[in-house]
Order: sequence, then C-alpha cells, then structure tokens
Amino acid sequence: MAALPPITAELRKQIAQIERASTVTMTTPQKGEAVISAGAAAIDDALPWGGLPANGLHEIFGDATATGFAASLLARLETVQSGAPILWCQTGRELYGPGIAAYGLDPNRLILVHGRNDTDLLWAMEEGLAAPGIAGVVGVLHKVPPIAGRRLQLAAEERGRFGLLLRPLDPLARTRAAADLAATSMALTRWRVGALPSEPMLIGGREAGMGPERWRLELQRCRLSTFNQNSTYAGHPKTWQVEWRDETGDLTVVAPLRDGSTEPAERWRDAS
Amino acid sequence: MAAVDREAERRGLRPGMPLADARAVVPDVRIVPLDPDADRAMLDKLCAACERYTPWASVDPQGARPNKSSHAPIGDGAGLWLDVTGCTHLFGGEAALLADIAARFTRAGFRTRAALAATPGAAWALARYGGTDQTKDLDRAPPGEERAILKALPVAALRLDTDLVEGLDRMGLRLIGDLVHLARAPLARRYGRGVLDRIDQMFGDLEEPISPRHAPPVHVVRRVFAEPIGKVDDIELALAEMLPILSADLEQHGQGIRTLDYILHRVDSSREVVEVGTSRPVRDPAHLARLFHEKLAAVDPGFGVEVVVLAARTVAPLTPAQANLDANADIDSFEQTGAAQLVDRLSNRLGNGNVTRLTAVESHLPERACRERPAMTAKRNNVAWDEPDRRPQRPVKLLIQPLPIDAMASVPDGPPASFTWRKQKHRVVNAEGPERIAPEWWAHEGRPLSRDVRDYYRIEDEDGRRYWVYREGLFLPGFEPRWYLHGFFA
Repeated sequence: MAALPPITAELRKQIAQIERASTVTMTTPQKGEAVISAGAAAIDDALPWGGLPANGLHEIFGDATATGFAASLLARLETVQSGAPILWCQTGRELYGPGIAAYGLDPNRLILVHGRNDTDLLWAMEEGLAAPGIAGVVGVLHKVPPIAGRRLQLAAEERGRFGLLLRPLDPLARTRAAADLAATSMALTRWRVGALPSEPMLIGGREAGMGPERWRLELQRCRLSTFNQNSTYAGHPKTWQVEWRDETGDLTVVAPLRDGSTEPAERWRDAS
Repeated sequence: MAAVDREAERRGLRPGMPLADARAVVPDVRIVPLDPDADRAMLDKLCAACERYTPWASVDPQGARPNKSSHAPIGDGAGLWLDVTGCTHLFGGEAALLADIAARFTRAGFRTRAALAATPGAAWALARYGGTDQTKDLDRAPPGEERAILKALPVAALRLDTDLVEGLDRMGLRLIGDLVHLARAPLARRYGRGVLDRIDQMFGDLEEPISPRHAPPVHVVRRVFAEPIGKVDDIELALAEMLPILSADLEQHGQGIRTLDYILHRVDSSREVVEVGTSRPVRDPAHLARLFHEKLAAVDPGFGVEVVVLAARTVAPLTPAQANLDANADIDSFEQTGAAQLVDRLSNRLGNGNVTRLTAVESHLPERACRERPAMTAKRNNVAWDEPDRRPQRPVKLLIQPLPIDAMASVPDGPPASFTWRKQKHRVVNAEGPERIAPEWWAHEGRPLSRDVRDYYRIEDEDGRRYWVYREGLFLPGFEPRWYLHGFFA
C-alpha cells in the first residue's frame, strides 16, 4: 500500500471522527478486516478496500440483474457461509428461491420481511442491523430519505454488518430515477447494474443456446478514493462489462469500458 | 316459536306455539327469525365476558330447549355456568358477586336470572325455577335451607327430557321432593338411571364438573385496579410488573411462552386481548415487554381498564440452552441465535405472514416449488433447492400471477420472435427452450391436459434482458395457445 503522508492520514481520521463514522469509511482497511469480493479481481482492485467492506452500507441500482448481483455478493459473506441469516426487506413477493440459489445464495438463509410501506422496511432494516446473529440486511426501496440512509449506514458500521440497498429503477418514471441517481447517499459504494446482450454459447463453432448472462456493472460512487495495495488510484467511477460464471460463482470481466458509458442512454432502460 | 320474551309471555304467548296462533293472540307481535348459530356465538361472547369473575366459565350445554311442560322455564333454557369457588372474596362476597353479575348484564341489555348454589344442578334449577317472585333477578339459596327449597321445585328443574318430565307428571310426581322419597331401585328401573343421576348431582352426591370454555391457562397473573386506569402507559407499567412474576412461575415449571395474551377488561364490560407470539419458547421479561410495546400503542383503554390478566395461552418446555458442540450442526443454527428474537419482534409488528422464510417444495410446477412460510412457525424441511449446476435455469423474480403477453412466434411451436409487454415491443434475439412443464395430472380436473401444458422459454431481448415466458397449451386445430410472462432472470 502506498503510504499516505502521516498528516493526511491524521486529517482523515479527524474527519472521520467529526462525521461519527468509523475508520472504515475514511481509511484504507487494515489487514484482516472483512471484505467481500465483487466477483472479479479487476473490480476489487478498483475499490480502495480491495473489495466491498463487509461492515457498511452499499447501494445497488438496477432490476433483476441487481438482484442477481446482490445474491452473489451475499453468498460470499463469510457469516452467511457459516449459517447466519440475512434479512431481506421488500414490499413485493416476487423473490424466487430456486433463482436465488443459482447465484450461490442458499434461500434457507433468507428471512423475508414484507412491509406495507418504506417506513416499515426502514424500521425492519434498522432492527435487523442492530440484532445479533444476523449476517446482513437487504432492503428493496424506491426512496431512501437522507436521514434514514445515514442511520442505516451508521448502524451497519457500528455493528459491523453488511447492509445492501437495492434500488429498483422504474422505466416509466425516468425523471424520478434520474433524480435518485443524482442524489447523494451515505452508502460506501453505489453500483448500477444492467443487462447487456450476451454472446451465444458456441460449441464447435456452432451456436448452442444462450451464453452466460452479461451485465454492465458501473461503480458510480465510492466514499473513499485513495491508493490501494497496488499503488493504483482506486475509488473513482468506473464501468465494466462482466459475465456471470456459473461454474465458479464469480464474474469475468469481458471488456472494460471507458469511464462513463459508451452507449446511448436509451439502451439503459431497465425492466422492472 | 322457539322463545318468547317476558312481555310476550305476560300476554299469553308460549314457546312452541304455532306462529299463526301467536299472531291471533297478539297481532302486533314482533318476530325475529331463529338463528341458533348467532345465539351460540352470543352466549360464547357473554361467557368470555364472565371470565373476569372466574376462569371456570362455560356455556350451559343444556342450551335452549323448547319445553312443553306446564312449568315453562323463565325465558328460555340457555345459560352460563360460573364456578366461583374461591373467587367470591375478590368481589366482596357471594351476594355482592351475584349483584355485580346481574347489574352488568342488565347494563348490557340482557334480562338475567342468576342463582348461586352448592352444586351446578342446584344452581341451574334455582336460576330457572327457583323463587316464587319471578321478577327478582337474583337467587341465592340460604345455606341450610337449600335442600328444602330444591325439594319444592318442579321435576323439570332436574334437567330431564321433556318426555320424561311428562311421564313423571302423569304418575303424579310433580315436585323433586316427591322423587327423593321414592325407593331408588324401582325408580331407576322405571325411568332409567338418568333421573337418579340428576337428583344426585343436584344434591351433591354425584360429582359434576364444569368444563371451562377454554382450558384455563395454567400460568396466569392478574391485577385488579382500585381505580380504572385510562392511560396506555399505565397499562404497560402494569405489564412490566406482571411479566417477571409470570416469568418466575414459568421458570419453576421449566416452561417458556409461545403465545401470551394480555387481556384488558374495561369498565364497560368489553375486553381487549393483545396477543403476542414467539418463534421459540421465551420467558425473558424484557423481550416479552418489547413485543407488547409495539402492540399496546394501538390499544384503546376506553373509559378505563379495571382488570388486566396476563395469561400464557401456549407454553412449551424451555430448558437452559446447551452450547452447541457439533460444528457441523450449523444447518438450523439460526434458530438458536438472536435471529429468533428479531423474527419475533418483526412478526409481532408486521404480522405473521409478513415475516417469512422460503421453503422448497417438491413440485415441478415453478409457482409451487418455492413457498413462503411464516418465519415464526416455519420448520426446516429436507427438500433441497434445485441447483444442479448453478446455471440459472430459474428466474430470480417470479411473478405471482403470470402476465398475459402478446407474442409472435415464427414457428407455431417455437420460441417467440417478439413480444409486447407494458406497451413496449421487445425483439427476441436469443432463446432457449422449450422446457415442457405439465400440470399435476393428479390434481388436474376439467380441461384437457393439452390445454394447460406449458412450454417455457428463456428469452433475451435486444437489450440483453432475460425473461421467462411460456406458451400455455399445445397447438391443436381450433385452439390458440396463449403466451405468458412468468419471471425475470438476472
């Protein structure tokens, strides 16, 4: 790790104290701190922590693809692997066990909470983050008031829990979605996941069905940008094209895109 | 006519009269259709209200019975039993208790006759046939004179069948006193053991237990307030005082709470039951208090609450947890952890059906293969999740109700070439399938199977989004299959 000048580190620590955030937010992680791999080494390298900190709040915009990405992240949580449950809070009842299982996440680990409104969901999420024995909390929320977001982030950091905000993008309300995307949030990282046309599977030069799912994975925001272990500057927005590898349960970067989208925005309509 | 009220009786109407006769006697008689179910429900409700006096309250099984004998019972036969043994002192003695019961029923708009006696049989008889002054609402046999009073009652007071009463009447046996002095053996031979049993039950020679409406909870704590309380905070305070008592009681018996009722009796005789449930036996007062806290906010104390009862409805053995030594036994480990407490709190606030766990079900129908069960009661089953090679064969989101879509297929039994969903046209660039899923023939009725066979396709549109669609029915002459959207892949 490229050492920061001592004064910078000291200042960061002070800011962290002012912001009542733990050191996770503002400094590079120490060895042994739990980090979840995003699924591919190239992506982890672009994050200052070398992955997603397991004790903090993260935000993922997108639809079914975001659910798949979230499931694959949760499956890599060490606490989940040792049997702790995940609280999954949402208003709908569409989550489908066998589909989740395909991304490596055991549906038996899930406790589903159905709220009548966002208030219920935020309450349930906070309870979940504070409760002992819970590995992580997922909330499918259309709107996150700034104060609620901050409370969640603080709870996640204090208790060392993994919090995930899944933000569905409704193609029918494009302007609101744009406003949501522009709004700041307290989450450590913000992602946007969308589908991309896949390459057909080829066997012996002939098409043999659909190839693996291809996603566009965009790191939109990161609370910390600094040099990482490889002395590269990490934590700035970046976009990747990835494919889901079902045999290994991770992602392969197919072709890194330049910063920002190379495609017209119209391609970004998300199904809900 | 099944029953008449007091005024009707005064004007000459009797139960059992044909309606036409009744109309002839009293032209403006008001008729209410007989509804035994509603009557029973009302009795049950009254019985519940009487549980403020004693846990041993039950609905009289003799119920409403039209009586043709000359000694018509007051009103009709329906009634309630209250076993107040050991309870009277709480209300200031037997007389005060009776007066309180009568006063409450009167206030609620019921005409009652209450009687208190040493045996259920005697109380039944006194309440219906006792007292020369039939307008009096109360009857209490003075100790010592009870036997004499009972002997003077008509035979019908023995709770006998109408036919039997008529038979005895023909023999000139009109009063209970006439029977008591007869030789028992011939009486039993002539009229059956029932008569003797009833006599013995009345005089306490034969035990007659009353079964309460519900089996009374063994673990109960109650508080009677000197003054009715009207603030929810105070109700919660009382709860906080009672919980440790209950908890200590449970601990002695090695039991833990599964369902706990907090019953509030208001001044106006109405009651409210606040119920909490837990996913596993619990007796930690703090945890239980937290569960109630969410619910008590919605409680309306009305004009004030007089009596509160904390009753453990269901309990289960709770022994000190044993540390888990088996490292491999992590499968259900979260039943042991703090997660269970969280599930309790969420379930009690959001409702049981809103905090769920997914369980795999052995069914090839996709909508049946995964079910949500309340997390509080969900038991782990050993059905494995279908996950053969981690290749997503099933969508991450499954629509509860498949959506009809307009799809165009290039070949009749091929995948769709394009489909319209939400007024947007999607061109299908890639498809995989079909996966044929037939309905469960053993549960299938009516339409031919060929109409309900589904051919599922995984399709990808030009933006790379993947959908799970199916065609319902096979292409047969004269039948147009329909397309449905059933789920979304990640």
